[in-house]
Amino acid sequence: MTATIIFILAGTLAATVPLLMAAMGELVAEKSGMLNLGIEGMMAVGAAAGFVTVAVTGSHALGLLAGGLTALLLSAVFAVLSIFFLANQVAAGLAIGILGLGVSAGIGKNYEGTTVTPMPKLSFGVLGEIPVIGPAFFSHDIMVYAAIMLAFAVWFTLQRTKLGLIIRAVGESPHSAHSLGYPVAWIRTACVLFGGAMAGIGGSYLSTAYTPLWADGMVAGRGWIVVALVVFGTWIVPRVTMGAYLFGAISLLELSIQGLGLNVPSQLLSASPYFVTIIVLVVISRNPTLIQLNSPMSLGQTYRPNG
Amino acid sequence: MTLLTKTIKNLAAATLATAMIAGAAQAAEKLKIGFIYPSPVGDVGWAYQLDEGRKKIEAMFGDQVETVVVENVPEGPDAARIMNQMASTGAGMIMIGSFGYMNDGLKLAGQKPDINFIHASGYKTAPNFGNFQTRNYESAYVAGMAAGYATESNTLGVVAAYAIPEVVGIINTFTLGAQRTNPDITVKVVWLNSWFNPSKAQESAKSLIAQSADVIFSLYQDTPSVVSVSEEEGVYVINTSSDMKKYAPTKLLASMTIDWGPHFIEQVKAALDGSFEGTAYWGGMADGAVSLSSLSDDLTADQKADIQSVVDEIAAGSFHPLTGPVVAQDGSEKLPEGETIEDGALLGIDWLVAGVETKLPN
Repeated sequence: MTATIIFILAGTLAATVPLLMAAMGELVAEKSGMLNLGIEGMMAVGAAAGFVTVAVTGSHALGLLAGGLTALLLSAVFAVLSIFFLANQVAAGLAIGILGLGVSAGIGKNYEGTTVTPMPKLSFGVLGEIPVIGPAFFSHDIMVYAAIMLAFAVWFTLQRTKLGLIIRAVGESPHSAHSLGYPVAWIRTACVLFGGAMAGIGGSYLSTAYTPLWADGMVAGRGWIVVALVVFGTWIVPRVTMGAYLFGAISLLELSIQGLGLNVPSQLLSASPYFVTIIVLVVISRNPTLIQLNSPMSLGQTYRPNG
Repeated sequence: MTLLTKTIKNLAAATLATAMIAGAAQAAEKLKIGFIYPSPVGDVGWAYQLDEGRKKIEAMFGDQVETVVVENVPEGPDAARIMNQMASTGAGMIMIGSFGYMNDGLKLAGQKPDINFIHASGYKTAPNFGNFQTRNYESAYVAGMAAGYATESNTLGVVAAYAIPEVVGIINTFTLGAQRTNPDITVKVVWLNSWFNPSKAQESAKSLIAQSADVIFSLYQDTPSVVSVSEEEGVYVINTSSDMKKYAPTKLLASMTIDWGPHFIEQVKAALDGSFEGTAYWGGMADGAVSLSSLSDDLTADQKADIQSVVDEIAAGSFHPLTGPVVAQDGSEKLPEGETIEDGALLGIDWLVAGVETKLPN
């Protein structure tokens, strides 16, 4: 039983890293008013590029960097299309997402099904020896802790710094921000690029640390879950973070329930992470004022500087 | 135009025409065979073994055939579209590589009686539509024997995709084989509800290991995800379709390998000489379609000899893994002493043997 508990706790922290990183990136992008639906493609491209880099160079740091950069380039295409060519954000995002899935298959073609050595786990010395807590919380690779720190950094930047205020202003009312002299297009572009890079690093973690192999389609819909998490979490960082961990935890719990021999239909268990996370997020996000305060008013709207 | 130029022009036209006709005639002789796989081919796995069969066809028939491959085709409307596309671009034979392609393939076969179809792991046939399966339950039985010998915790974990009859049959003979060498074992199953999700497969393996399974059975995962994680966690692992020794050099207990070469070659030969008939082929150890490879050296010589003798018995046809007495999970006796299950019942099997803790999904 303890082994199962450790498995769920430790597994959740690791499984949530790709979701959390991509969710933080998407949250920043959406706060600035850009609805990027292509996260799935960006995670896939990051996973493929990261995997190939690690397979060739052996360096996980380079792999994460490569994954982030490749996804950033893909998100740049989305930015150009929707910010500078004023294309519909939903359509552009979906198209780029599907493109990303195909490109990722192309990048990883020669590495299909191969594995690499996973990211090394950090050692916290004596802390790792504590029964249950030790293996659950203190035996992870650096990205697990980096993801948590990223969530905190995103929250702090958005809520407590001038940069965050500007981003939120651009998301609330781009015209007002523009009249105050802020370069709306460039701020939105930067947020989209940040979102893409985070999705890419999250995807790269998936293929080089979490399940250290590359297989076409291995992102398995996580990008779509990320978009849902950000929306159902009403763009509030702590809620989105909690939603991501909840989703990760239930995904692992449902596997353990199957193994325990409890007679719950496995299809219901497979669906449980999705509907439980949605229900929980919807229930805690009932306050309409809070939703009003946090949702970016111009989300998904094309900003026309002169109109 | 002078007579000379006219003659040259006519000669050139005649030569070109002859070349075209000859070319067309040669093209008409070539049998174009389409292959549709449900997952990417990669280095190992279900699609890889199908592709190995395709390569054997090319090696055997050379210029007589031309093969076209589309991989990673999900079951459903996409598959129907690809099949139709192959049919309309001149394919004379199509190999559809997954259970879920069955109904679309059968429909197309009815519409195009000139095209021959072979379908992997299905159960329906038509005059121009044959199916092929492997008796993986045979290699699962001997793999189970190895698992029974190797386990110390007496808990065996199975990571399985969907509860189709083929998979259920395999889990049953795996359990029976393990019980033969170790009557105290129990088997836990995690149903992935997906043919292809390497991350979830790994998580499932880890959850089983956390529940003290020390032998993991990677049932129909196309990637070595479960095999790698078992090696990492230090538990034994058995896998299907391809030999995966290189992914678990110390912890691979056995691989249940498939060889489609001989059957494919036979079918293509029939298609080429016009004698193709849609039959149900069920290849086993007897005809080399199924075998157990890379049996671990951690087993003792006696244990290996025991396993080998059962392999020989199955190949000779003197032993069937699903022979009574067999009791189901709910306690009912499914097979009395000495009675062997019929092929028909095995094809539609919907019950798990006693010893498997996890229930079938409804």
